[in-house]
Amino acid sequence: MTVLLSAQNIVKRYGGVIALSDGNLEVSSGEVVALVGANGSGKSTLSKIINGVVVLDGGQLLLDGVPVQFPSPQAARKMGIATVFQELSLIPQMSIAENIWLTREPLHPTGTVDQKEVTERTKRLLKLFEGTFKTELTPDVSVSSLQPDEKQIIEILKAISVDPRILILDEATASLDSRQVSRLFELVATWKLSGKAIIFVSHRMEEIFRIADTYSVLRNGKTVGSGKIKEVTEKELVNLMIEKASVFTHARQNRAGAKELAQKPVYLTVNALATDVLRGVNLQVRRGELLGLGGLMGQGQRELLRSIFGYIHYHGTINILGKDVHYRHPADAIKDRTAFVPGDRGKEGLLYIRSILENILLPSWKEFGVPTRMKKAHEVAVGVGESLNLKMAGLDEPVSSLSGGNAQKVVIGKWLKRKPQLLLLDDPTKGVDVGTKAEFYKLLANLCDEGKTIIFYSSDDEELVGLCDRILVMHDGNIRTELVDRMITKRNLVAASLGASEEEQHE
Amino acid sequence: MKKLRISPPAAALILAVTLFLLSGLLPNGFGSDMSIARAQATNIVRLAVFLGVIAAGQTLVIISGSEGIDLSAGSVVTLTAILAYVMIKGNDSMVLPAIGVVILVGALIGLVNGIGITYLKISPFVMTLGMAGVVKGLIIILNHGNVSGKVAPIMTSIIARPVVFGIPGAILIWVVFGLFMWFLLERTPFGRNLFAIGVNRITSTLSGIHVPRMNLATYSLAGALAGIGGFLLVGNTGVVFISLGDPYLFPSIAAVAVGGTLLSGGKGSYWGTMSGAIVLTLITSLLTTMQMPESVRRMVLGGTLLMLISIYGRQRALRQ
Repeated sequence: MTVLLSAQNIVKRYGGVIALSDGNLEVSSGEVVALVGANGSGKSTLSKIINGVVVLDGGQLLLDGVPVQFPSPQAARKMGIATVFQELSLIPQMSIAENIWLTREPLHPTGTVDQKEVTERTKRLLKLFEGTFKTELTPDVSVSSLQPDEKQIIEILKAISVDPRILILDEATASLDSRQVSRLFELVATWKLSGKAIIFVSHRMEEIFRIADTYSVLRNGKTVGSGKIKEVTEKELVNLMIEKASVFTHARQNRAGAKELAQKPVYLTVNALATDVLRGVNLQVRRGELLGLGGLMGQGQRELLRSIFGYIHYHGTINILGKDVHYRHPADAIKDRTAFVPGDRGKEGLLYIRSILENILLPSWKEFGVPTRMKKAHEVAVGVGESLNLKMAGLDEPVSSLSGGNAQKVVIGKWLKRKPQLLLLDDPTKGVDVGTKAEFYKLLANLCDEGKTIIFYSSDDEELVGLCDRILVMHDGNIRTELVDRMITKRNLVAASLGASEEEQHE
Repeated sequence: MKKLRISPPAAALILAVTLFLLSGLLPNGFGSDMSIARAQATNIVRLAVFLGVIAAGQTLVIISGSEGIDLSAGSVVTLTAILAYVMIKGNDSMVLPAIGVVILVGALIGLVNGIGITYLKISPFVMTLGMAGVVKGLIIILNHGNVSGKVAPIMTSIIARPVVFGIPGAILIWVVFGLFMWFLLERTPFGRNLFAIGVNRITSTLSGIHVPRMNLATYSLAGALAGIGGFLLVGNTGVVFISLGDPYLFPSIAAVAVGGTLLSGGKGSYWGTMSGAIVLTLITSLLTTMQMPESVRRMVLGGTLLMLISIYGRQRALRQ
């Protein structure tokens, strides 16, 4: 195999911050290379240098052994490099077809857009993911009406539509469900056969081992290891990424079995909860329980958490510690010491341009009186920052200056101060680095030991299996399966998500 | 590597001072006579007070985000000025009741704006523009038989004349007003929540903020502040006419922008707006002193606005 693209000793500085000091990557045609590293290790920067979004300060890029420079993304695209962006680059007001072919519309000889051809080609692309959408998509559907997973797929199709030689998948699987991921991986296999090179940026170990041929690990802007994926174990890879291997303890100790759980008092009861997505959900959570919500993406997990928090209108009853409640606004739920960590940090969890301090204290300003006791507020925020090991330049810096993992700590931090009794978590580890994840798992375990009740939705099956006392698998707005005790295995969870009937006791 | 970062309000203030010093070199400028320079500077700040106070409400609605803007401010200023004028009739004892009425009327108009924007989902631009028309109509009805009234002597002596150390009362009032606005924005839950809803309303709601209530409160407050602006303005002019407040509407938005408040909401300060009001007033009065025609004055004002805002925009891009 010949090396298609090689990045050597790449250096990139942003002002005084060194994002990359020695970034290296090599990929051959017909090969998938996994670019791994914790958040802030420089993998986004490296992929942005390869696709021309940022210009490098040092080192060189070789394409087919020839030094190249990409002053713009268009230049990189002309050389056959396409990227699936983590942050979606689609224009919501435009249709699927318009988005995919934007600036590259097939034209009639007269210079007008060949609408028939556009539709035809878009249909062909959509066929690649046929059967994995919740509703069938057509080329004229507006992107604004799509679910996050569907948008991500359109993003993938847009990248592949230019028939690139090198495809960069930057966290492209983060919002996809397992069926969609499998389909993507099947497609990757065919793209490999046709000689494409693929750079796969991901936090998900399991996927890396499923799809990659080689790996390259970044830590603090330096490439610290690379090689064949067959010759490395998950643990070794993680060690390379975070140095301290010991924090990676997925499994939570002293989990409660069904018998122990039954002795604890019921904290929350939900009866016949219905919204336009949910179809009469019943569930019960006990004090100190960590209840997992599983299943394919978009089966109503999000709506369930949001109705309990009073954010969306619902029918049915919700009962907390024997008292019926009907929240009309999240403020009511917050008063009853319920906390909610939403699934989309940027859009729902943070005020990006405001300071870290303000984000942490957002739900709590009233407690500091009028005039606001700023000194006290500052102390509280410092306390929250320390308890979460928040890495920041200062409390007055905007949240936008934080890495993904640290930003998520802020979202969680704003509730911790309020000592919530019930935590509703909507996929809280999405796009978070391994180190922060480990800290987060420990936090969850501690909260449960303190008697807090947690309902935890995750798109990462391993997390659910490793952490939860009990898992409810949702399908089509209802709870399909309950997994307890030794039934909690990855195999069972996946099987239940997909609706397969066979369930085994052991793995 | 520490980069010198000048905040937009400071930049606006530096610009104002520089322009003022340069203006001394003009043929009819103050030259080297410091007492004239001081008198000129005081007068410009005094004139900026009215724009500054009228722009206070504008600052709040712009910070509240979601295309927040108050185009009814000019009409509310006129209406409340006329109300104060008619109520007081040269009678000092009616000053306090008149203040109460203008605040109330302003707040009521603002509340209606808020209701239209929050519950009927009318965009702030359209809602407040419509409201400007309605208030204009009210003014015409009120003004029909030619209003008779008079401002109170106490108003003239406090607002328009020097009070202590040759500083006009209007400036002292503005300083107190500025402190109140700072307090409101930086030291109350209302202020903190206002910035929050200006950045992201979903995050705010999910953190327990009642966004509709905040919206109603903000527009009501903006109306009340415009009412106070009308009261102060009539105290200065001593007469009322049907378009008294109109010339302040667009400068009030410009002052907010020049002061570095993001027009998209969520970031800004009232002291920025104060600097903005001073800059705009200064430029206008300089151009008048230079006997520039109206056309040139408008072009220079517009050009300055564009220049300043493009500089702020660049700063933001550099920081990312």
